[in-house]
Amino acid sequence: MLFRRMIQYSIMLALITFLALFLILPVFTVLHEGCNWHLIAEVFRSPVYCEGLLNSLLIAVVTTAMVALISLGLALLYDRYEFAGKEYCSLLMLLPMILPPFVGAIGFQQILGYYGVVNSLLVQCGMQRIDFLGGSGKFWSVCVIEALHLYPVFYLNLITALGNIDPALSDAAANLGASGWQRFFRIKLPLLKSGFLAGGSIVMVWSFTELGTPLMFGYNRVTPVQVFNGLNELENNPLPYSLVVVMLSVSALIYLLMRRLLSTPGGASAVKGAMGSRTKRLVSWRRFLPSSAFLLVAFLSVLPHLALTGTAFSLRWHDTVLPEVFTLEHFDNALSNPLVLPSIVNSLRYSLLAMIIAVFCGTLAALASVRWKLKGAWLLDLLSMLPLAIPGLVIAFGFLGMTGRYLWARAIFNPVDNPLWLLAIAYAVRRIPYVVRAVVAGLEQTPEELENAARNFGAGPVKTLCRITFPLIGANLLVGGLFAFSFSMLEVSDSLILAQKSVFFPITKALLELSQILGSGPASASAFGVWAMAFLALTLASAGLLMGRKIGAIFKF
Amino acid sequence: MASVLLEKICKSFVPGKPVLNELSLEVKSGELFFLLGPSGCGKSTLLRILAGLEKQDSGRICFDGEEISALPPEKRQAAMMFQSYALWPHLTVFENIAFGLRILGISGQKLKDEVFSALEAVQLGDCAGRRVPSLSGGQQQRVALARALAVRPAVLLLDEPLSNLDARLRDTMRGEIVRICRERSQTAIYVTHDRQEALSMADRMAVLKDGRVSQCGSPRELYERPQNRFTGSFLGDINFIDGKIVDGKLDAGFGIFPLCGDPDNAGCGAIRPERIKLVDAAHRGAFAAKIVNGTFLGDCCEWICRVQDTELAVREYAPELRMTGDEVFLAFEDGFLMAME
Repeated sequence: MLFRRMIQYSIMLALITFLALFLILPVFTVLHEGCNWHLIAEVFRSPVYCEGLLNSLLIAVVTTAMVALISLGLALLYDRYEFAGKEYCSLLMLLPMILPPFVGAIGFQQILGYYGVVNSLLVQCGMQRIDFLGGSGKFWSVCVIEALHLYPVFYLNLITALGNIDPALSDAAANLGASGWQRFFRIKLPLLKSGFLAGGSIVMVWSFTELGTPLMFGYNRVTPVQVFNGLNELENNPLPYSLVVVMLSVSALIYLLMRRLLSTPGGASAVKGAMGSRTKRLVSWRRFLPSSAFLLVAFLSVLPHLALTGTAFSLRWHDTVLPEVFTLEHFDNALSNPLVLPSIVNSLRYSLLAMIIAVFCGTLAALASVRWKLKGAWLLDLLSMLPLAIPGLVIAFGFLGMTGRYLWARAIFNPVDNPLWLLAIAYAVRRIPYVVRAVVAGLEQTPEELENAARNFGAGPVKTLCRITFPLIGANLLVGGLFAFSFSMLEVSDSLILAQKSVFFPITKALLELSQILGSGPASASAFGVWAMAFLALTLASAGLLMGRKIGAIFKF
Repeated sequence: MASVLLEKICKSFVPGKPVLNELSLEVKSGELFFLLGPSGCGKSTLLRILAGLEKQDSGRICFDGEEISALPPEKRQAAMMFQSYALWPHLTVFENIAFGLRILGISGQKLKDEVFSALEAVQLGDCAGRRVPSLSGGQQQRVALARALAVRPAVLLLDEPLSNLDARLRDTMRGEIVRICRERSQTAIYVTHDRQEALSMADRMAVLKDGRVSQCGSPRELYERPQNRFTGSFLGDINFIDGKIVDGKLDAGFGIFPLCGDPDNAGCGAIRPERIKLVDAAHRGAFAAKIVNGTFLGDCCEWICRVQDTELAVREYAPELRMTGDEVFLAFEDGFLMAME
């Protein structure tokens, strides 16, 4: 018993050390480099940086509001009604996840550009062209693109929260005379707070620090892009570090504020036991209403990527509603570009390694905090959730700083020689929370008594883990792994900052480079984007096939 | 099969509020031993400590004289039937029962035979291929029982194993458990709060109160010679009769009666309703009483009779027709008026 306890403690200690080295140390490095009061004061004195900060904050707020509206509507429909095609709606929700938003930005320009689809339609209807992307148009475009990418995160959290609400609680309110709306506002919504907190804080911090989308739009007056642009002159101007420090503080503030606003009293928000909330079956034409809402949202989120696909296949798509003259030339161009094929291989290697690291660490961390009941597990808990509140840009900068400061860091992952471990660990650290969440949810839904029973019947801890625990939380492990993998494939900030040599470029950086080539650049980038999306869709689809009909189980997390 | 020895087991989940308080017990090899007590008295905790799922704060546990306090649950061979069943939802009924057997290294035809004989014992022979969630509560409970029986553990631990069954099935299962335990001379510890179950099945039993053993012995001993008010009243209805104790006799005010047990330390007498007889006035030791209430129970009637200030419950089998207010004569059956503290 003592021996096992010691093993558990050493595993926990190892995990804490890992996170301290690859999460806290990078942040510390950034703080160390950037906590220069002169420079920070300079950030706030400069109208350009202040405007960037304000814009980023506005993007975060607007995006989160959009996301909340979209996903609350869909989640309630899903929870309350039985309708045609319900089983496919969860699958539809996967779609935006496989579409990198900054790739969508190219397509979005095709749709709303001055000579784009919508304006062509307007002209055909005899109206004036509108410059959607000029002025504040870029701002709204960024918000819409990010909202359409991020709503599944929020939606999944809401669905989980809704699933955990015992229908008896609502029934009790009805029994005491509360009407449908009263039940919604007085019972359901307050009980959903935990879902709002979980989903909202992720979306808000994410959109506040999103680099790829505004970069693709050329919307440079936002903090993340300003940080990225300052990268080139980092040697003689450490201002970007200070900018990152400011960004980190604002993110932490957002997180704390959300927490304060939405913290649920008493902690335990849900009554467990009676699973499966009661759904109303819709009849006749009504039963297609919810599914069309799902379809509409999915269509909107796919639209930029459809446009991207159109661009990829067409020789000319200018001032017309639909593309003209189809060609495969861009695909040839994309493939013949020396950046493309290696970048796919690179991304695969980085992401697979990242997935393995994240699943390994995340599962152990979840076990330590839920099952082992060790003293000091709260520290591990806190550390493994922290990446949600720390922007990727900060960690990327921290790694960059670390390779400059510490010899051992330069030895293991030199971004110039071989950034495999650097990128894999940078990806993994930020994906650990998703794995931990998924596994913790699984463990909490699995009574510990089931494992006790296995121990009682003579199975040792490892055997119990393999035969009882892992099969029972298999779906959760898979979800965690998939999230870790696909988010790593689409990762932007680490990839743009840490991959410095073109041989080591992952997909995202290759895409950015490609899109910036004048002339045929955007078209070949589109073609490459299509490749990347097809590839990701294939991975997710094969995972779906592996899961068979249990794909829905993914979403109960 | 192993004997079990518990020595001064202490356990508290909240400091200062012990669930088990220096509890000591001995269960002999091959015995069907019952732990009986009201909810919250620590029975289930004691069982979980035996299985190694909780760790006692202090005290020793020995199986067959060997201390096992330091052994992890999987090394104890103390298969438990969990109160919540704890059936693995991802495995079929067959696989649930086979789990423990496979760990013992049993496979092939022998495995099948063992699983099916366990399933037959709980009358679920045709459910082997089904998934756990598709079973009713009562069926799940029986699968859990079969799973624990199948591994032939050194000590079988049963935590309210029949609570979810209907009356008829419960009677059958009681018979099955007793039969299996006798056949294998299986040491088993059975937790329940149902006194009928304990009295009818146990070889020996212990009544627990507030984390201590209130009394331990054979069902008959405990029922007929309870040493304290708690044990006496927990196992069935009982009349406590106050009075003076002189020379080993109770002076109740309406008569002087010989006490059995240990009259020296006693403060009152106690007698069960069925040991008070309705008799003729001429019967030795008879005293007059008035019926103040009556409840008809079919095979018997329970009368509440008043003698002076004392109310006595009297159980009359094959009851005659009597009315409230009737005067009757009562007598205590010899050797059943117990001295109580």
